[in-house]
Amino acid sequence: MVSISFLNPLSPEGKDIVRELGSFDGISQDIPELRRLVTRNPSQEIVADEEIPSNYLELALKRIEWYVKKKNDREFNSRRYSFLSDQDITKYDVISFYLLCQSIGVKFGPNSRETRVMVEAQGDLVQERLGKLSLQEGRLMVDQSLQLLLKGDTVHWTFFQELLSTRKIRLTELVLDQGELVLNQEDFIDRFGSRIKHRNPSSMYQLLIGDELKELLMVKMIMQETEDYIKQVHEKARIMVEPNPILLELAEEVAKILAEPMQSYGYGSGRGGSGPMKAGPLNSQAFPPCVKKALEGIKSGGRNDAIVLFMTPFVSYARLYPDVFRMNLSKRVSDQDPQLEITEKEILPLIYEAAQRCVPPLFEDQPQEKVNINAKLGFGMHSELKMEHEGETTWYTPMSCEKIKLHLPHLCRPDDVCKKIGNPLSYYNRMLWEVRTLKKADDSGSTTASAENSSEGVGDDNDSPGKDGTTPDKPGEA
Amino acid sequence: MELKPATPNERRQYYREEWDVKNVPDFIRNTLIQREFGFDHIGRGPNDRYRVFRNSDDLRKFMRVRTPFAAYSSVAFYNNPKRRGGWLKAELVFDVDAKDIPIRSCGCDNVCEICLNQAKDIVMGLLDTLQGDLGLKNINVVYSGRGYHIRVLDDAVMAMDSDVRSQIVKYLVGADVPRSEYSSHGMKYNLEHFTIPFGYPQVFTHRVKQALLNLTLDTEIDDVSKDIKKAVIKHRELLYDDQWGIFRKAIGPVRYARLVKGIASLNLTLVDAKVSIDLKRILRLPSSLHSGVSMKSTLIKNLETFDPFQNAVPKFVYERDDK
Repeated sequence: MVSISFLNPLSPEGKDIVRELGSFDGISQDIPELRRLVTRNPSQEIVADEEIPSNYLELALKRIEWYVKKKNDREFNSRRYSFLSDQDITKYDVISFYLLCQSIGVKFGPNSRETRVMVEAQGDLVQERLGKLSLQEGRLMVDQSLQLLLKGDTVHWTFFQELLSTRKIRLTELVLDQGELVLNQEDFIDRFGSRIKHRNPSSMYQLLIGDELKELLMVKMIMQETEDYIKQVHEKARIMVEPNPILLELAEEVAKILAEPMQSYGYGSGRGGSGPMKAGPLNSQAFPPCVKKALEGIKSGGRNDAIVLFMTPFVSYARLYPDVFRMNLSKRVSDQDPQLEITEKEILPLIYEAAQRCVPPLFEDQPQEKVNINAKLGFGMHSELKMEHEGETTWYTPMSCEKIKLHLPHLCRPDDVCKKIGNPLSYYNRMLWEVRTLKKADDSGSTTASAENSSEGVGDDNDSPGKDGTTPDKPGEA
Repeated sequence: MELKPATPNERRQYYREEWDVKNVPDFIRNTLIQREFGFDHIGRGPNDRYRVFRNSDDLRKFMRVRTPFAAYSSVAFYNNPKRRGGWLKAELVFDVDAKDIPIRSCGCDNVCEICLNQAKDIVMGLLDTLQGDLGLKNINVVYSGRGYHIRVLDDAVMAMDSDVRSQIVKYLVGADVPRSEYSSHGMKYNLEHFTIPFGYPQVFTHRVKQALLNLTLDTEIDDVSKDIKKAVIKHRELLYDDQWGIFRKAIGPVRYARLVKGIASLNLTLVDAKVSIDLKRILRLPSSLHSGVSMKSTLIKNLETFDPFQNAVPKFVYERDDK
């Protein structure tokens, strides 16, 4: 029988395992039993001896490595990580999970990229592990886990507030009745059976809720618990004594693994195989319709949102870091523009001009909005851009199309390209790329038709925005 | 009845002779000291904000003396409303403005009886979902002067952030096409939204039906040609008795998919989403005068029987010479 803590280390059972361990002493000592389990696993492929995790810390790093390689390495071989789905490692796995969460919580905090990766990796791992179980066993595990997580028979949808807020699940995915989440079959048939015509209610239940929705809920709740735990650790660490150096070292190692994809595999090589979009001068021809419209100025009512919340992130990322979503790596403005020269001379003027074109001009009656623009660039609530303030706020990423439709519906006049993307920045990248391919084609074809529309601002290093072109929103997105 | 602005004299008459602070609904009067008030004195938008009243008598005096063009109070509750500080929670609000209904059958410039009725139908649908699917209680409906405000004061939702609120809006208005492909034991099945008589697919079906029944050839829908609209108008009586399957066949499955996708994105404007996700918004004060159209913003007791032209017209309108 699989232990619940194999899926959810934060379950009471998992907590017991940690309690048994007691302290950090000996955490980096060799565990022969763990080595034995890994090597004994029949589906395990081992290329080198160093690949075998021999203590808690190494196992922790393997968890992260597995996720990063799976996402980025085209030659990823899952058989080299088979041991991660072996239920016999549960005891060690639980400890390594806690070590990871604590080190990330202490060193990077809940809003970091490291946290995001940890949470996503945990979600993927749970799914991977569930997939290896028999249908029967899997169902049992999901039901048991959900029972623990939901704490009761009937659950009001507001219980999922956090999952909804972080968009881990959508409200429209849940089957609701009188505010309650309908999950089990008897309840389903009780409530809806009489309404269902020409179909078998229980097969309808299987399709609409069945295993799929339950599994989704369980995975997302475990992810949320992981995130909450990291946050909790972070908050405790802020008011308590020096963190254990082992945790800090582990955190360093995690950061190293996360930096690896960029060095070894090239950005996004796992999908589409294209090179990165490099920063370069803005090409206004590649702007999506909403940006063009906002640049013309906005009438009173939507001015602040359009200029501060929408234009500032768009213009700054388009100019400095167009590839933000694909690289999945948060940066600061100064990482891309160390002297803040481009920001002062190109980005702010463009935003200010758009603000000036508003009716009435935005800064005339609301000069304090300039401070808000600085805040959205990551420089805190100050009237000037100063390096020492950087990091007080975060550099907002551009709003997704979905958000624009909600906040600024009058800006959204989609054209054909819009249908293929989910964020105005993806539109921009895609258009830059198209303009460039056009130019290439023209150059290699006849010399008479020089590409006049591609002369502006596309560096030679720009490349395809990736075959899917739709960039998922980052969880921390503004 | 013509909807025209009120003169300063009429405003004064309204606030001195007809308005009573007791007409301000309890859900506001009982929480007066936690709310921010805002006023528009000259008809150019509320620029007198951050007002607080210690009790309803202060509010009464203010209204009688200043006879504002428009009066608002916050949906948020604060510890320190004077500075909008110490945000505690906020009502969940849906604003259905008759002027902004995405598919209007009336074609008027401002608002009229037809689109106000349409707004009322929309509100009824939203209320059904709020109470039925989402199980929310403590819901007030207010006639705003040009449409309706749904104000939810259920504790289950008052503390929720903008992201959750935006998900509620989407669920309520039917802004996403429900998936039609489902799988079980490795087999794929097709279930169109109209074959699922509960949950979100049912909400979506209701909203699409409402839209299709009101659609005209001039309604602009993304990616939906005039031909499709003609076909909808030709066949839509099938929807009166919910013969969706036949309707879909008549339109053509590919065109049908395009049609519902277009309507889903149009649905997003059934309510002003900005109002719903704003946690610090001010909203027209029920009982106050909407001076732009000379109507009273009114808390509604019975939506079924409520008629703005019977129940929300101030006395001075009947006394106008040109009536």
